[in-house]
Amino acid sequence: MLVYALVAGVLFGLYFSLVGIGLNLVFGVMRIVNLAHGDFLMLGAFVAIGVVTLIGIDPLFAAPLAFVIFLIVGLLLYWILVPRLQGSANPEMLSIILFFGLSQVLEAVTTIFLGTSERSIPSRALGTVFSTVKVKLFGGSPDSGGGPIEILGQGFPASWVIAAITSLVAIGLVYVYLYQTRLGTLTRAVMSRRDEAFATGIDVDRVSAAAFGIGLGLAAVAGIFAPFMFGSVTPAFGADATVTSFAIVVLGSLGNPLGTALGGVIYGICYMVVQTYLSSWADLLPYVLLIFILLLRPSGLLGRRVRVA
Amino acid sequence: MLRVVVAALAGLTLTAQAYAADVPTEIKIGTLYASSGRFASISMPVYSSLKLWADLKNADGGVYVKAFDKKLPVKVVAYDDQSNTATAATLYNQLITQDKVDLLVADSGSVLTAPAVTIARDHKMFLFDQTGTGASFFSKDNPYIALMADPVSTIWPKPAADFVIHDGPALGIKKIAILYSTNEFTGTQANAFRKFIKDSGVPVEIVYDQGVPTETTNYTVIINNINNTHPDAVFTFGYAPNDIAFLRNVADVGVKFKMLFVIYAGLEKELLEKNVGDKGLEHVFTYVPPSDMEYPVNFGMNLPTYKAAWDKKYSDGKLEFGLNAVAGYTTGLVIEKALSVATSLDQMELRRAVFSLSGNLKTLCGPFALDETGGQIGELTPLGQLEPDGHGHLKFVSIYPHETATGKPVYPRP
Repeated sequence: MLVYALVAGVLFGLYFSLVGIGLNLVFGVMRIVNLAHGDFLMLGAFVAIGVVTLIGIDPLFAAPLAFVIFLIVGLLLYWILVPRLQGSANPEMLSIILFFGLSQVLEAVTTIFLGTSERSIPSRALGTVFSTVKVKLFGGSPDSGGGPIEILGQGFPASWVIAAITSLVAIGLVYVYLYQTRLGTLTRAVMSRRDEAFATGIDVDRVSAAAFGIGLGLAAVAGIFAPFMFGSVTPAFGADATVTSFAIVVLGSLGNPLGTALGGVIYGICYMVVQTYLSSWADLLPYVLLIFILLLRPSGLLGRRVRVA
Repeated sequence: MLRVVVAALAGLTLTAQAYAADVPTEIKIGTLYASSGRFASISMPVYSSLKLWADLKNADGGVYVKAFDKKLPVKVVAYDDQSNTATAATLYNQLITQDKVDLLVADSGSVLTAPAVTIARDHKMFLFDQTGTGASFFSKDNPYIALMADPVSTIWPKPAADFVIHDGPALGIKKIAILYSTNEFTGTQANAFRKFIKDSGVPVEIVYDQGVPTETTNYTVIINNINNTHPDAVFTFGYAPNDIAFLRNVADVGVKFKMLFVIYAGLEKELLEKNVGDKGLEHVFTYVPPSDMEYPVNFGMNLPTYKAAWDKKYSDGKLEFGLNAVAGYTTGLVIEKALSVATSLDQMELRRAVFSLSGNLKTLCGPFALDETGGQIGELTPLGQLEPDGHGHLKFVSIYPHETATGKPVYPRP
């Protein structure tokens, strides 16, 4: 039971790293807590449901589509909202109120158009592209996809493995962006010392807009997998996702996107172990972790390294 | 003599004027709904179905109110509690103290009904409890509540337990697993089910018995843990999102339980078919709800007529047709019938009127019968199993009680 819980925890946790990484990128650059983060995740889920329902293709193809759509949405939202926010007397407090309002609006509008019921995608739909390629290369039955994947002799949902691999790729790309591109270097400079970055002539607004767009894009990509990881989604799904993301981000280190990867895996493992041995208490975990980390290491597990870097 | 006649006429005129002033222009029914949040998918169908009843009645000139010996239109005063119990508590108070509604109707489900039970009792207001089946709501010292459209949770799982007790040993069911969400509705069902099994003395061992938070949407590890106990039957008690996640996870990890019971595969079959798919629901045991079983009625529409009315009004596909889509209409029927026999709108008189219907009223939810605490004991849902109908869809096969059975159980699940 423990081995199963640990492997499940790693897979689940890697997915939660993807859920939280966008939130942390936005906070790291802009020092704004995007309380509508989970709602963009929810919208990403509905993009996937729309792609499968209308076009009938593998929802994996919805990932780049959702990323691009919400990258653009993020850039537009940034230019509409954030400059006015930064010009106010208390931008951090106002940002919390503003994004809370945005969260409510997104949920309400989605409810109006899509209703309140649970929506999902058949599990076998995810990864059909792989089974199609496999059939073309090696033959076999075309409907063999969607079954469990064996790890250490135990079966895990294929969707979990695909979500975990996608998360690893996304985290890798965020790493490449931050450490291998010029815009990424500027982003790290803004994350480190926003005022100094501004003083040295860095276009902080451009860097922030890019980070905000990428943050929303990553949330939407995480949303693509939400129907598979959580069974179904509703327009109200965003609030819970935001809370869990926030716990993971704080656990890893607020302001360090890569710390989120560690925070996600630790959260995932803890969740699965608690669900195995103390199932009634599992939902308390994000809050318990939040309290512990704030008491024992307020800067998060990777906090120190980031501030210095 | 003339003076006496004039005085008598004047007295009659004044009495008539006073009576006219007392007759309201409408009957105000206060209720809540959740347009968002965790309980929206069970709340909105109930509210929509109550509204459907009100609209149909108002189109017909209203409902007959015996207290005033005339038909009066009904006005549904409704607020959105957003699935939040604290908000619901405030709004229930508002309905009673500010809106001064004539009748108080609870939101759907035990979680959002719970605040109404206490508030109604404190204000001595009779609560028309639509689908809040939690056992703690009903007690001998609380006369201000009656359950309209679902059986009380303490007896609801009896057909499932009786199946295990009476048919289980012959089928080879010796070990069972119980998984439940820790809330009033499903927790009570699990407790009742466990008690029925234990009290029966049948040689069935409970090898897994765990509660999970109602918000749980991931069961992969739990399914693995249950599977490790090698149960002959698994009984899960959760809300619709729990059941969707559980059934999907069962299919995803490739585990095949010999027998699997979930509540909402039956209660909201349309919703679960959309989210789980027919394959994942095949051979699943569940309750057979009145939305899929035609009961003879002596008041209101029967199931086919009601379904046609529902489809006409809610044709956009945003609301699924299931037990909850029938529950609000049933509440409306009980209200209508109670108003037609109550001699005043006094809350205790309304209670008397509602209780007088017990054993006499038959709606599309089945025979309406209350116990002395207001718990619904008439509208029992048989245990059924979802089987392929040969045309690519699923149909209900009623399994237990044997008197209403339409087929034999498929056990173990292929």
